[in-house]
Amino acid sequence: MTDNSSTEEMIRLLREISGKLDRILIQGSVDKESDDGILDVLDVMTLLTLPDHLRTTATALFELGSATADELAERTNKERAVESNYLNQLVRMGHVAKNRNGRKVYFSIGEGLGK
Amino acid sequence: MAVTIAIHSYKGGSGKTSFAINLASAYASVGKSVCLLDVDLKAPSSFNYLLPEGKHWVNDIFEGRYGVMDVVKDVSKEMGTKGAFYVGYSNPDILAVREVSSKDRKWQSKALKLLMAAKKDLSNAGIDVVILDTGAGVDFTSVNAIAVADHVISVGRPGASRQRLMEQVIGGVYMPLDKDCYIIENMCHSDNPTDISGKKFDLPVLASISCMCDVAVRGDNEVLVLTEPGHMFSKKIYDIMESLDKITS
Repeated sequence: MTDNSSTEEMIRLLREISGKLDRILIQGSVDKESDDGILDVLDVMTLLTLPDHLRTTATALFELGSATADELAERTNKERAVESNYLNQLVRMGHVAKNRNGRKVYFSIGEGLGK
Repeated sequence: MAVTIAIHSYKGGSGKTSFAINLASAYASVGKSVCLLDVDLKAPSSFNYLLPEGKHWVNDIFEGRYGVMDVVKDVSKEMGTKGAFYVGYSNPDILAVREVSSKDRKWQSKALKLLMAAKKDLSNAGIDVVILDTGAGVDFTSVNAIAVADHVISVGRPGASRQRLMEQVIGGVYMPLDKDCYIIENMCHSDNPTDISGKKFDLPVLASISCMCDVAVRGDNEVLVLTEPGHMFSKKIYDIMESLDKITS
Protein backbone atom coordinates (compact mmCIF):
# COMPACT_ATOMS: atom_id res chain seq x y z
CA MET A 1 0.00 0.00 0.00
CA THR A 2 1.44 3.40 -0.95
CA ASP A 3 1.35 6.44 1.40
CA ASN A 4 -1.13 8.08 -0.89
CA SER A 5 -3.63 5.26 -0.86
CA SER A 6 -3.43 4.80 2.94
CA THR A 7 -4.17 8.51 3.42
CA GLU A 8 -7.15 8.17 1.13
CA GLU A 9 -8.30 5.15 3.10
CA MET A 10 -7.96 7.12 6.37
CA ILE A 11 -10.01 10.00 4.99
CA ARG A 12 -12.67 7.57 3.80
CA LEU A 13 -12.88 5.99 7.26
CA LEU A 14 -13.01 9.38 8.98
CA ARG A 15 -15.85 10.44 6.67
CA GLU A 16 -17.67 7.21 7.50
CA ILE A 17 -17.27 7.86 11.25
CA SER A 18 -18.40 11.46 10.79
CA GLY A 19 -21.52 10.22 8.96
CA LYS A 20 -22.26 7.76 11.76
CA LEU A 21 -21.88 10.51 14.38
CA ASP A 22 -24.29 12.71 12.42
CA ARG A 23 -26.84 9.91 12.41
CA ILE A 24 -26.41 9.36 16.18
CA LEU A 25 -26.99 13.07 16.77
CA ILE A 26 -30.16 13.02 14.64
CA GLN A 27 -31.32 9.83 16.34
CA GLY A 28 -30.70 11.40 19.75
CA SER A 29 -32.96 14.33 19.06
CA VAL A 30 -35.72 12.00 17.81
CA ASP A 31 -35.44 9.91 20.99
CA LYS A 32 -35.78 13.03 23.07
CA GLU A 33 -38.95 13.98 21.23
CA SER A 34 -40.52 10.59 21.76
CA ASP A 35 -39.65 10.78 25.47
CA ASP A 36 -41.88 13.84 25.67
CA GLY A 37 -44.31 12.05 23.41
CA ILE A 38 -45.07 9.35 25.97
CA LEU A 39 -47.55 11.73 27.54
CA ASP A 40 -49.08 12.14 24.18
CA VAL A 41 -52.44 12.28 22.52
CA LEU A 42 -54.10 9.01 21.52
CA ASP A 43 -54.82 9.07 17.80
CA VAL A 44 -55.99 6.16 15.70
CA MET A 45 -52.49 5.25 14.42
CA THR A 46 -51.20 5.08 18.01
CA LEU A 47 -54.27 3.05 18.89
CA LEU A 48 -53.22 0.48 16.28
CA THR A 49 -49.81 0.07 17.95
CA LEU A 50 -51.25 -0.70 21.42
CA PRO A 51 -51.34 -4.32 22.62
CA ASP A 52 -54.70 -6.05 22.01
CA HIS A 53 -56.11 -5.68 25.52
CA LEU A 54 -55.34 -1.96 25.82
CA ARG A 55 -56.58 -1.30 22.29
CA THR A 56 -59.95 -2.88 23.07
CA THR A 57 -60.27 -0.74 26.19
CA ALA A 58 -59.23 2.47 24.42
CA THR A 59 -61.53 1.83 21.44
CA ALA A 60 -64.50 1.27 23.76
CA LEU A 61 -63.61 4.50 25.56
CA PHE A 62 -63.54 6.40 22.25
CA GLU A 63 -67.05 5.11 21.59
CA LEU A 64 -68.42 5.90 25.04
CA GLY A 65 -66.77 9.33 25.28
CA SER A 66 -66.50 9.30 29.07
CA ALA A 67 -67.08 6.27 31.29
CA THR A 68 -66.45 4.65 34.68
CA ALA A 69 -64.55 1.38 34.91
CA ASP A 70 -67.92 -0.34 35.55
CA GLU A 71 -69.49 1.05 32.38
CA LEU A 72 -66.45 0.10 30.35
CA ALA A 73 -66.33 -3.44 31.77
CA GLU A 74 -69.96 -3.86 30.77
CA ARG A 75 -69.09 -2.82 27.22
CA THR A 76 -66.05 -5.08 26.86
CA ASN A 77 -67.48 -8.03 28.83
CA LYS A 78 -64.52 -8.07 31.19
CA GLU A 79 -64.17 -7.91 34.97
CA ARG A 80 -64.32 -4.42 36.46
CA ALA A 81 -60.97 -4.89 38.24
CA VAL A 82 -59.32 -5.96 34.97
CA GLU A 83 -60.73 -2.99 33.06
CA SER A 84 -59.73 -0.65 35.88
CA ASN A 85 -56.18 -1.95 35.65
CA TYR A 86 -56.09 -1.40 31.86
CA LEU A 87 -57.55 2.09 32.21
CA ASN A 88 -54.93 3.05 34.75
CA GLN A 89 -52.19 1.74 32.45
CA LEU A 90 -53.58 4.01 29.73
CA VAL A 91 -53.64 6.89 32.23
CA ARG A 92 -49.96 6.29 33.06
CA MET A 93 -49.16 6.28 29.32
CA GLY A 94 -50.83 9.69 29.14
CA HIS A 95 -53.48 8.53 26.66
CA VAL A 96 -56.42 8.64 29.04
CA ALA A 97 -57.52 11.30 31.52
CA LYS A 98 -58.99 10.45 34.92
CA ASN A 99 -61.45 12.71 36.72
CA ARG A 100 -63.20 12.27 40.04
CA ASN A 101 -66.82 13.37 40.31
CA GLY A 102 -68.14 12.74 43.83
CA ARG A 103 -67.55 9.08 44.56
CA LYS A 104 -67.23 8.09 40.92
CA VAL A 105 -64.10 8.12 38.79
CA TYR A 106 -64.59 8.92 35.11
CA PHE A 107 -62.13 8.08 32.35
CA SER A 108 -61.94 9.77 28.95
CA ILE A 109 -59.54 9.95 26.02
CA GLY A 110 -57.07 12.69 26.95
CA GLU A 111 -56.43 15.89 25.06
CA GLY A 112 -52.73 15.08 24.99
CA LEU A 113 -50.01 17.01 26.73
CA GLY A 114 -47.62 16.82 23.80
CA LYS A 115 -48.17 18.03 20.28
CA MET B 1 -79.50 1.71 16.09
CA ALA B 2 -78.01 2.75 12.77
CA VAL B 3 -75.64 0.41 10.96
CA THR B 4 -72.43 2.16 9.93
CA ILE B 5 -70.56 0.82 6.91
CA ALA B 6 -67.17 2.16 5.80
CA ILE B 7 -66.36 1.69 2.11
CA HIS B 8 -62.60 1.45 1.83
CA SER B 9 -59.95 0.31 -0.61
CA TYR B 10 -56.25 -0.24 -0.13
CA LYS B 11 -55.53 1.66 -3.34
CA GLY B 12 -57.32 4.34 -5.35
CA GLY B 13 -59.33 3.80 -8.50
CA SER B 14 -61.15 0.68 -7.34
CA GLY B 15 -64.62 2.13 -7.94
CA LYS B 16 -65.19 2.80 -4.25
CA THR B 17 -67.13 6.05 -4.66
CA SER B 18 -69.42 4.73 -7.42
CA PHE B 19 -70.09 1.70 -5.26
CA ALA B 20 -70.86 3.88 -2.21
CA ILE B 21 -73.26 6.16 -4.14
CA ASN B 22 -75.10 3.22 -5.65
CA LEU B 23 -75.29 1.22 -2.42
CA ALA B 24 -76.65 4.24 -0.53
CA SER B 25 -79.16 4.92 -3.34
CA ALA B 26 -80.24 1.27 -3.33
CA TYR B 27 -80.98 1.41 0.40
CA ALA B 28 -82.90 4.69 0.02
CA SER B 29 -84.85 3.35 -2.96
CA VAL B 30 -86.27 0.48 -0.88
CA GLY B 31 -87.37 2.89 1.86
CA LYS B 32 -84.43 2.78 4.27
CA SER B 33 -83.34 6.03 5.85
CA VAL B 34 -79.78 6.54 4.63
CA CYS B 35 -76.89 8.91 5.23
CA LEU B 36 -73.98 8.96 2.79
CA LEU B 37 -70.90 10.89 3.93
CA ASP B 38 -67.80 11.67 1.90
CA VAL B 39 -65.14 11.48 4.61
CA ASP B 40 -62.20 11.63 2.20
CA LEU B 41 -61.18 15.13 3.25
CA LYS B 42 -57.86 14.89 1.40
CA ALA B 43 -59.35 13.95 -1.96
CA PRO B 44 -63.05 14.87 -1.93
CA SER B 45 -65.07 12.97 -4.52
CA SER B 46 -67.99 15.45 -4.50
CA PHE B 47 -69.87 12.21 -5.28
CA ASN B 48 -69.05 12.72 -8.94
CA TYR B 49 -71.34 15.81 -8.85
CA LEU B 50 -74.35 13.47 -9.04
CA LEU B 51 -76.05 14.44 -5.79
CA PRO B 52 -77.19 17.93 -4.70
CA GLU B 53 -74.89 19.74 -2.23
CA GLY B 54 -75.75 20.87 1.29
CA LYS B 55 -75.02 24.19 3.01
CA HIS B 56 -72.11 23.00 5.10
CA TRP B 57 -69.25 20.54 4.72
CA VAL B 58 -68.24 17.30 6.40
CA ASN B 59 -65.09 19.26 7.35
CA ASP B 60 -67.31 21.31 9.70
CA ILE B 61 -68.13 18.11 11.63
CA PHE B 62 -64.45 17.32 12.11
CA GLU B 63 -63.75 20.89 13.18
CA GLY B 64 -66.62 20.79 15.68
CA ARG B 65 -68.23 23.81 13.96
CA TYR B 66 -71.55 22.08 13.13
CA GLY B 67 -73.32 18.91 14.12
CA VAL B 68 -73.78 16.24 11.48
CA MET B 69 -77.51 16.95 11.08
CA ASP B 70 -76.70 20.60 10.21
CA VAL B 71 -74.27 19.43 7.55
CA VAL B 72 -76.23 16.76 5.71
CA LYS B 73 -78.97 17.51 3.20
CA ASP B 74 -81.93 15.27 2.40
CA VAL B 75 -81.84 14.71 -1.36
CA SER B 76 -84.63 12.09 -1.50
CA LYS B 77 -86.93 14.44 -3.44
CA GLU B 78 -84.34 15.23 -6.10
CA MET B 79 -83.26 11.60 -6.37
CA GLY B 80 -86.79 10.21 -6.16
CA THR B 81 -86.11 7.71 -3.39
CA LYS B 82 -88.74 6.24 -1.06
CA GLY B 83 -86.59 6.59 2.06
CA ALA B 84 -84.81 9.69 3.38
CA PHE B 85 -81.45 10.13 1.63
CA TYR B 86 -79.05 12.41 3.50
CA VAL B 87 -75.79 13.40 1.88
CA GLY B 88 -72.73 15.19 3.28
CA TYR B 89 -69.83 16.44 1.15
CA SER B 90 -66.19 17.10 1.95
CA ASN B 91 -65.07 20.55 0.89
CA PRO B 92 -63.35 20.19 -2.52
CA ASP B 93 -61.78 23.68 -2.33
CA ILE B 94 -57.99 23.34 -2.54
CA LEU B 95 -57.51 25.60 0.51
CA ALA B 96 -59.65 23.22 2.60
CA VAL B 97 -57.78 20.19 1.26
CA ARG B 98 -54.41 21.78 2.05
CA GLU B 99 -55.58 22.68 5.54
CA VAL B 100 -56.65 19.08 6.26
CA SER B 101 -53.33 17.74 5.00
CA SER B 102 -51.44 19.74 7.61
CA LYS B 103 -53.48 18.64 10.63
CA ASP B 104 -51.53 17.16 13.55
CA ARG B 105 -52.24 14.04 15.60
CA LYS B 106 -54.04 15.98 18.30
CA TRP B 107 -56.53 17.28 15.73
CA GLN B 108 -56.96 13.77 14.31
CA SER B 109 -57.68 12.38 17.77
CA LYS B 110 -60.37 15.01 18.31
CA ALA B 111 -61.72 14.34 14.81
CA LEU B 112 -62.19 10.68 15.76
CA LYS B 113 -64.14 11.68 18.87
CA LEU B 114 -66.33 14.05 16.83
CA LEU B 115 -66.97 11.38 14.20
CA MET B 116 -68.00 8.93 16.94
CA ALA B 117 -70.41 11.60 18.25
CA ALA B 118 -71.77 12.17 14.72
CA LYS B 119 -72.50 8.46 14.41
CA LYS B 120 -74.54 8.63 17.62
CA ASP B 121 -76.43 11.72 16.38
CA LEU B 122 -77.32 9.99 13.11
CA SER B 123 -78.60 6.98 15.00
CA ASN B 124 -80.68 9.23 17.27
CA ALA B 125 -82.09 11.02 14.20
CA GLY B 126 -83.54 7.71 13.02
CA ILE B 127 -81.09 6.92 10.23
CA ASP B 128 -81.00 3.18 9.42
CA VAL B 129 -77.80 3.00 7.41
CA VAL B 130 -74.75 5.28 7.49
CA ILE B 131 -72.33 4.85 4.61
CA LEU B 132 -68.86 6.39 4.92
CA ASP B 133 -67.04 6.80 1.64
CA THR B 134 -63.44 6.82 2.89
CA GLY B 135 -60.17 7.76 1.27
CA ALA B 136 -58.05 5.04 -0.31
CA GLY B 137 -55.04 3.60 1.49
CA VAL B 138 -53.96 4.08 5.07
CA ASP B 139 -53.97 7.58 6.52
CA PHE B 140 -55.81 9.39 9.30
CA THR B 141 -58.89 10.27 7.26
CA SER B 142 -59.50 6.68 6.16
CA VAL B 143 -58.52 4.90 9.39
CA ASN B 144 -60.59 7.27 11.56
CA ALA B 145 -63.64 6.36 9.46
CA ILE B 146 -62.84 2.65 9.66
CA ALA B 147 -62.52 2.91 13.46
CA VAL B 148 -65.99 4.46 13.66
CA ALA B 149 -67.71 1.91 11.38
CA ASP B 150 -69.41 -1.32 12.45
CA HIS B 151 -68.60 -3.00 9.14
CA VAL B 152 -65.92 -2.42 6.54
CA ILE B 153 -66.38 -3.20 2.88
CA SER B 154 -63.10 -3.35 1.02
CA VAL B 155 -63.50 -2.69 -2.68
CA GLY B 156 -60.63 -3.97 -4.77
CA ARG B 157 -59.66 -4.97 -8.24
CA PRO B 158 -58.37 -8.52 -8.64
CA GLY B 159 -54.63 -9.15 -9.14
CA ALA B 160 -51.78 -10.91 -7.35
CA SER B 161 -49.95 -7.72 -6.30
CA ARG B 162 -53.17 -6.18 -5.03
CA GLN B 163 -53.90 -9.35 -3.07
CA ARG B 164 -50.73 -8.81 -1.04
CA LEU B 165 -51.57 -5.15 -0.37
CA MET B 166 -55.05 -6.02 0.71
CA GLU B 167 -53.80 -8.63 3.15
CA GLN B 168 -51.58 -5.98 4.73
CA VAL B 169 -54.52 -3.67 5.31
CA ILE B 170 -56.76 -6.46 6.60
CA GLY B 171 -54.13 -7.70 9.05
CA GLY B 172 -52.79 -4.30 10.02
CA VAL B 173 -55.92 -2.13 10.20
CA TYR B 174 -59.29 -3.93 9.93
CA MET B 175 -58.46 -6.85 12.24
CA PRO B 176 -56.74 -4.86 15.04
CA LEU B 177 -59.74 -2.51 15.08
CA ASP B 178 -61.97 -5.57 15.42
CA LYS B 179 -64.11 -4.86 12.37
CA ASP B 180 -66.40 -7.19 10.46
CA CYS B 181 -65.04 -6.97 6.96
CA TYR B 182 -66.25 -8.04 3.56
CA ILE B 183 -64.76 -7.89 0.13
CA ILE B 184 -66.15 -6.65 -3.17
CA GLU B 185 -64.15 -7.69 -6.19
CA ASN B 186 -64.71 -4.91 -8.67
CA MET B 187 -63.88 -4.55 -12.36
CA CYS B 188 -63.20 -8.29 -12.72
CA HIS B 189 -62.15 -9.81 -16.01
CA SER B 190 -63.10 -13.39 -16.81
CA ASP B 191 -59.61 -14.15 -18.10
CA ASN B 192 -57.93 -13.02 -14.86
CA PRO B 193 -57.83 -16.04 -12.57
CA THR B 194 -56.49 -14.26 -9.46
CA ASP B 195 -59.19 -13.46 -6.98
CA ILE B 196 -58.75 -11.16 -4.00
CA SER B 197 -60.78 -13.08 -1.49
CA GLY B 198 -58.25 -12.36 1.26
CA LYS B 199 -57.04 -16.00 1.21
CA LYS B 200 -54.96 -15.58 4.33
CA PHE B 201 -57.93 -14.28 6.30
CA ASP B 202 -60.83 -16.15 4.72
CA LEU B 203 -63.10 -13.12 4.48
CA PRO B 204 -66.48 -13.32 2.78
CA VAL B 205 -66.63 -12.00 -0.78
CA LEU B 206 -70.00 -10.29 -1.10
CA ALA B 207 -69.82 -10.01 -4.87
CA SER B 208 -67.59 -10.10 -7.91
CA ILE B 209 -68.59 -7.31 -10.25
CA SER B 210 -67.47 -7.61 -13.85
CA CYS B 211 -65.64 -4.81 -15.57
CA MET B 212 -68.32 -3.00 -17.56
CA CYS B 213 -67.29 -0.07 -19.73
CA ASP B 214 -70.73 1.54 -19.65
CA VAL B 215 -70.64 1.62 -15.83
CA ALA B 216 -67.44 3.65 -15.93
CA VAL B 217 -68.85 6.02 -18.56
CA ARG B 218 -72.41 6.38 -17.29
CA GLY B 219 -71.32 6.45 -13.62
CA ASP B 220 -70.26 10.06 -14.11
CA ASN B 221 -73.73 11.18 -15.18
CA GLU B 222 -76.24 8.96 -13.43
CA VAL B 223 -76.83 6.72 -10.44
CA LEU B 224 -77.38 3.41 -12.19
CA VAL B 225 -79.38 1.69 -9.43
CA LEU B 226 -81.94 4.50 -9.74
CA THR B 227 -81.95 5.11 -13.51
CA GLU B 228 -81.65 1.48 -14.60
CA PRO B 229 -82.39 -0.96 -11.76
CA GLY B 230 -82.39 -3.84 -14.25
CA HIS B 231 -78.75 -3.22 -15.30
CA MET B 232 -76.33 -6.02 -14.41
CA PHE B 233 -74.34 -3.63 -12.19
CA SER B 234 -77.49 -2.42 -10.39
CA LYS B 235 -78.62 -6.00 -9.81
CA LYS B 236 -75.26 -6.76 -8.19
CA ILE B 237 -75.64 -3.76 -5.88
CA TYR B 238 -79.13 -4.87 -4.83
CA ASP B 239 -77.79 -8.40 -4.21
CA ILE B 240 -75.01 -6.96 -2.02
CA MET B 241 -77.57 -4.90 -0.12
CA GLU B 242 -79.61 -8.03 0.58
CA SER B 243 -76.52 -9.94 1.75
CA LEU B 244 -75.62 -7.04 4.04
CA ASP B 245 -79.15 -6.94 5.42
CA LYS B 246 -78.87 -10.60 6.37
CA ILE B 247 -75.49 -10.06 8.01
CA THR B 248 -76.43 -6.92 9.94
CA SER B 249 -79.94 -7.87 11.07
